[in-house]
Amino acid sequence: MSLANLLDEAGLTGRGGAAFATGIKVRAAHESGATLIVNACDGEVGAAKDGWVVAHHLPALIEGARLVTGGRPVRVAAKRGSRTLELLTRAGVDVLAIPNRYVSSEESALISLAQGGLARPLTKTIPFVRGQGRDGNDRPIPATVVLNAETVWRVAQIADRGPGWFRSQGTATEPGPRLVAIGGAVARPAVLEAAAGMPIRALLDHVGVATDAEYVGVGGLGGILLPRDTAGELLWSSTDLARFGGSVGPGVVTVHDPSECIVDTVDHLLTYAAGESAGQCGPCMFGLPAIATDWHALATGIEASTADSRLERRLAELPGRGACRFPDGIARFASSARTVLADHLTAHALGHCPTHPKERHVA
Amino acid sequence: MSPDPSVDVRVDRIRCSGHGICAQLLPETIRLDEWGYPIQSAGRVDARAAKRAVDFCPARALRLS
Amino acid sequence: MINELLWYLSRATGITSIALLTAVLLLGVVTSGRRRPVGERATILMGLHRWLSLGMVAFLGVHITTAIAETYVSIDWISALVPFTSAYSTAWVGLGTLAFDLVLAVVATSLLRQRIPERLWRRVHWGAYAMWPIALVHGLMLATSAEPILTAITIACGAVGAAGIAWRLSTGHADRDARRGALQGEWS
Repeated sequence: MSLANLLDEAGLTGRGGAAFATGIKVRAAHESGATLIVNACDGEVGAAKDGWVVAHHLPALIEGARLVTGGRPVRVAAKRGSRTLELLTRAGVDVLAIPNRYVSSEESALISLAQGGLARPLTKTIPFVRGQGRDGNDRPIPATVVLNAETVWRVAQIADRGPGWFRSQGTATEPGPRLVAIGGAVARPAVLEAAAGMPIRALLDHVGVATDAEYVGVGGLGGILLPRDTAGELLWSSTDLARFGGSVGPGVVTVHDPSECIVDTVDHLLTYAAGESAGQCGPCMFGLPAIATDWHALATGIEASTADSRLERRLAELPGRGACRFPDGIARFASSARTVLADHLTAHALGHCPTHPKERHVA
Repeated sequence: MSPDPSVDVRVDRIRCSGHGICAQLLPETIRLDEWGYPIQSAGRVDARAAKRAVDFCPARALRLS
Repeated sequence: MINELLWYLSRATGITSIALLTAVLLLGVVTSGRRRPVGERATILMGLHRWLSLGMVAFLGVHITTAIAETYVSIDWISALVPFTSAYSTAWVGLGTLAFDLVLAVVATSLLRQRIPERLWRRVHWGAYAMWPIALVHGLMLATSAEPILTAITIACGAVGAAGIAWRLSTGHADRDARRGALQGEWS
């Protein structure tokens, strides 16, 4: 059976966040003779599993890459100055070093950089795996497929142990083992070998969550915010998380620091996001700073109700209007925070903060 | 000539610099946000109007699909 | 008699072409410059920019054809396309030819815009900033002292166009500034 068919049967989907069926991508890659870029960037805030795969399973990763490309060129992308890049370089892997920017690890940004351009997303008219795409200078891009590091590792595992092994873990709709990086206010931050269907509480217990932790982020800057109790009642699965607008995504769980006001934490994250726009699309380069400003107004409680209705409108208008999904992720995160923290924000509008009750809140 | 909604237009978000001509020529499906960039609602548009919008866009940011 | 008619027609269509070219330039500058019109005004100005440029080509066609046809001075059709090959006033007619060649390039690439790489269209279009002063010098140098009106109009076009270009270069523009700002960061 061909590799693509094996992957179809196993039901492997991308582990980088988009969860696209890997068998389909690999089939298209074989058909167009595509080269491969392995995304080992850990681009999401709090991500660590790509580096974990490189550190612990590099030979299998390389084998998986070889299976995908049938010997055609492979490059592995990682952040400049990272331990992952160092390990890859030492192993003699052809590396693609990306700058430490949030969107630089996006699929088309990697392709753009590999073409000699900047590590910024490209407009996608046709899937790049077909080889008819064009870069920022209208130059043709040779057929290229981008796969997450964990996904490529799983390809090697499935080729070795068979689809049945893969399907024996996880759920019917989200089969197979999945890595999840858990960090933040926990005793033992770690990358865990998990699978869809496991209770999130079990994952959190494994790393030892601070007793006073109140909020958990699932999916980093492009994900959702959950109250710790709510998270504890859910299964680690996109089915369960979809009820709150989220997904297992890039496998990142962050327990937020309880000593910092969560509204301030979100404020810092949205300000960071605003500075990470590639500056190519109007709705993103103007919308993200505007959203950050609105949230900051909510945090300080000054003219909160006008800021809130403005924020609501802007969040609704943002998704789907950039060349990449970065603004969609920020809109998702901010919307989730606005919903989950509604009571906390009301307190700020009235001049006090549940986290720091003795002070009049100033962000 | 009666409108004949038969084509889709797509905005190249990187090329678009907010001139706003598309919203003028395809008002049924495109309006502008507070910074002048297009917000598209779903739906096909009249082929003639779409071609004119594609031609007129100063940034060549519209394409038919 | 016919010859005189051709001569005057050539002058008239020539000065009209310069005026139209200046108008087209200004319309282009307003579209790409800062306090850009959005929406309705943008559409009207873009429509004018396109239509006037085609109108200008028509006037240019008459200007060149009559210049070749009249026998008062010696300009053949080759020197209408190849710069600096006319017997009469080689340099100044040559500039006119050069400007005309640039007009053809700009118009052709614009008509074919959907089929050519965008960067090719853009670079040729920037040629308009060269084409316009070249056309003005051509006009100024070939206007005789017996036709002060031609000189006056050409100078007026020069002044208005220069003001437009100066405005375009000096003003900021939110989209352009935001893009430039983002490029300051590390992206490779």
